[in-house]
Amino acid sequence: MKTSDNFSFGKYAWEQFKKKKTAYLSFYIIVSLFIVALLSPFLANHQPLFVKYKGISYFPAFSTLVNSAKIDTIQLAQGKFDVVNFNDIDWRSKNKDFVIWAPIPYSPNFTDKYNRDYTSPTDNQRYKNHEGKIDNIPFRLRHFMGTDKLGRDVAAGIVHGAKISLLVGIFSMLLAALIGIPLGAFAGYYGNSEVKVSRFQYWMTAFGLFIGLFVAFVSRSQIISSSFQESILSGTWSFLVSLFIIMVAYFLFSFLGKKLAIGSFLKKEVDVPIDAFVSRTIEILNSLPSLILIITIAAIINERSLVVLVLIIGLTSWTGIARFMRAEMLKIKELEYIQTAKVLGFSDRRIIFGHALPNGLAPVFTSVAFGIASAILTESGLSFLGIGVPDDIITWGNLLSLGREEFEASWLVIFPGLAIFVTVTAYNLIGEGLRDALDPKLKK
Amino acid sequence: MLKYIVRRFLIFIPTLVAISLLAFVISINSPADPVEQLARSATSEGNTNSESSATEKIKNEIRERLGLDLPVFYFSVKTWADCDTLNNITSKAQRESLTGLTRQYGNWEIIQKYRITLQHFISDINSYPKDSTSAEIINDLRFTSLSMQETSDPVIIDSKMMALKTLTDSLEQQNLSHSLTTLNKSFDAVKSNSSTWLNYLPRIQLNGFNNQYHIWILGDLFTGKTRNRKGVLRGDFGNSYADNQPVINKIKQTFLYSFVLVVISIIMAYAISIPLGIYAAYKADSIFDNVSSVIIFMLFSLPSFFAGTWLLYYFANPDHFMWFPTGGVNDPAVFDENWSLWKKLMHQSPYFVLPVITYTYSSFAFTSRIMKVSILDVLGQDYIRTARAKGLSEYTVLTKHALKNAMLPMITMFANIFPAAVGGSVILETIFSIPGMGSEIYNAVVGTDIPMIVAVFTITGFLTVIGYLFSDILYAFIDPRIKYEN
Repeated sequence: MKTSDNFSFGKYAWEQFKKKKTAYLSFYIIVSLFIVALLSPFLANHQPLFVKYKGISYFPAFSTLVNSAKIDTIQLAQGKFDVVNFNDIDWRSKNKDFVIWAPIPYSPNFTDKYNRDYTSPTDNQRYKNHEGKIDNIPFRLRHFMGTDKLGRDVAAGIVHGAKISLLVGIFSMLLAALIGIPLGAFAGYYGNSEVKVSRFQYWMTAFGLFIGLFVAFVSRSQIISSSFQESILSGTWSFLVSLFIIMVAYFLFSFLGKKLAIGSFLKKEVDVPIDAFVSRTIEILNSLPSLILIITIAAIINERSLVVLVLIIGLTSWTGIARFMRAEMLKIKELEYIQTAKVLGFSDRRIIFGHALPNGLAPVFTSVAFGIASAILTESGLSFLGIGVPDDIITWGNLLSLGREEFEASWLVIFPGLAIFVTVTAYNLIGEGLRDALDPKLKK
Repeated sequence: MLKYIVRRFLIFIPTLVAISLLAFVISINSPADPVEQLARSATSEGNTNSESSATEKIKNEIRERLGLDLPVFYFSVKTWADCDTLNNITSKAQRESLTGLTRQYGNWEIIQKYRITLQHFISDINSYPKDSTSAEIINDLRFTSLSMQETSDPVIIDSKMMALKTLTDSLEQQNLSHSLTTLNKSFDAVKSNSSTWLNYLPRIQLNGFNNQYHIWILGDLFTGKTRNRKGVLRGDFGNSYADNQPVINKIKQTFLYSFVLVVISIIMAYAISIPLGIYAAYKADSIFDNVSSVIIFMLFSLPSFFAGTWLLYYFANPDHFMWFPTGGVNDPAVFDENWSLWKKLMHQSPYFVLPVITYTYSSFAFTSRIMKVSILDVLGQDYIRTARAKGLSEYTVLTKHALKNAMLPMITMFANIFPAAVGGSVILETIFSIPGMGSEIYNAVVGTDIPMIVAVFTITGFLTVIGYLFSDILYAFIDPRIKYEN
């Protein structure tokens, strides 16, 4: 083992991770999925990337991205005008001087009226050529993964679905980590008897939380609900304001309780059972089957949107992360360097976030990787049932459910299914690789 | 030991209460108005547009039957501005708009006056003699003023006032214009006499046993009234909004299918994964071990709805292999309830082959991973080294010494697998159209049948917690290494 000055555990773990070929390969699969997701508007678009039409150059894929209702008027030679409406124009049937198509020349929601009713990848596919005749489609414009009932391209759906599944996977786990890591860390570090406050402060803090919750969600209920009706963004903002009010009330009352405690009865120190609170919450959440919980909440909220889906998955799946973090923290807090830090008089916050947390994150990373895999599975399962994302968003799950309606269309089952399978496998393999790389005990 | 079991029971009860509270909170926060939902099915299609007293009466009956006229919980946290008798108002939308106004202006008495003037105005419109020329205007007036009852946004109310004014002006009717002016004044009074600060003062009100949660969980017990409700704890989950049948009867009908599928698949998964895990550990790092772990890993990542759809596509499709039926649990054309058990079994078993395969592989992938990890963990321990050093054969070491301890995590798994199976079955039962709990909850979600959703939610939660309880207690008996005393 190298013992140079710039040795870091991160570098070492990366070296270990690279040794595991399957995990390393999966890492590249996920990176390329990210690239596909980022570039999806240019990888699958029925507007050409570049087209020279009647002597004028356009970049339809780019300009429709900026302005969806772009209309251009061309002046022709004899004082005639031609209107180019990017929304209506079927570039395939135009006589173009020069064109560069996107790799998949269809958008996920673009309905190809000449290839409706489940055109298979190997079928004779049709299009309208520049003379206005229906002809066999040129190789470049083929639907390589076939179409669905409405004539939407499956390949384009796969490319854009990558974006959705990555968004759901990453953001829901980000939320889960943001909740799970601090809760698990506090529960593990403080336990049930580490934190002692005066009895008065304990009561005052509880009262402060009550007041905070009251003002945040009872007094302000009308403000929150009306701003959610206005837009998701302003709703989220007033929700955050409410959370801020709770925090202010908490700190204010706990400060007051600390300063105002008088008399031996009020000053008597009591334990704050932080671990018990967190562990009981985890136990309750874990005792509800997650899919049933998610479906129930989705049914109650009755609003199908990506944001809601991410919130539901994130808010129900932080328990795994919190449990790992708690177990790790229980081990770490007994280590000598933490004891040293305590003796040196470092504040708890500094010890937890500066010294203990970074060492305990390894199992959390593993848990996050597995969590992303299961979040993607959950999202595609919900979309498959038709209770996940809105209908106009194409995801792998709802492509697959389209295949269930028509058994002949095997391409509607196989391609989205493989996409989900590959992504989930890749994340699981990364999780395994991370576990092996980050856990020095498993090393030979 | 006894102390541990008692303590474990004591933790078990608050968890049940928490689950029931969660389920209840979900049920009362649903956006759907159950009264409207039930009234729509109770009244005929023809007279739904008229706000007749008959519909109103039906709605009130439904509210009373569901206990919606009662406060929500044993105590309620209110603001000083809130009104106590809000639950008496039938329409949920009107209740919400009144709460909205109260939260904005904090002067309940004046808002109440505004509400009463608005009701007077509506009855004035309703009593207005209809003739052919004014019928359309009257309809507009009624529509606008009725919708005014359901909004709390002052801007919208003001704009509706303006609309009402132009409409009444066009009628040139002294009486209506006058009552509109009163209405306008009363709303201005609401706006000018606001006492918003009252909203920031909390008030706790005790409601006694006559509250919605109590009736939901315990029914008529202690309430002193008879509503014919037994409560969740005595197996009454209310009636379904979809067809007004008792939810528990529907669940009884469907539970058997889900349960049979889950049990068969768990037994099969254990029967395959335990020998497989032992053999893989016995031949550690052999080709068999590597290949089997790769296959298990891939099965683990394979979405069950993909596998299920794919199986149907190949084995229940006339173009490939029409080996199994495409879905359902029997052929309604020939199936007879009075058949002997054997005949039923022979008839129905082909319907279960594909679902059981799909169920089994997903739980099998899970169990065999756990099995392998735990057996490797046990094999690394000192007592195994001792057993080997004694010269015992590897076979004896594995089956006699390692297996017992390696099985311990599988006990926990047994508790874990139940919720996984019920949850996962939502998708699988929908694919294979099996009339089980999963498809029941799916249909309930699609039709916003809240009692059904909440019932499935509560039952699965309770069963899971009971499963955990049993596995913990079982653990305490089996594993002597675990110390339970503090």
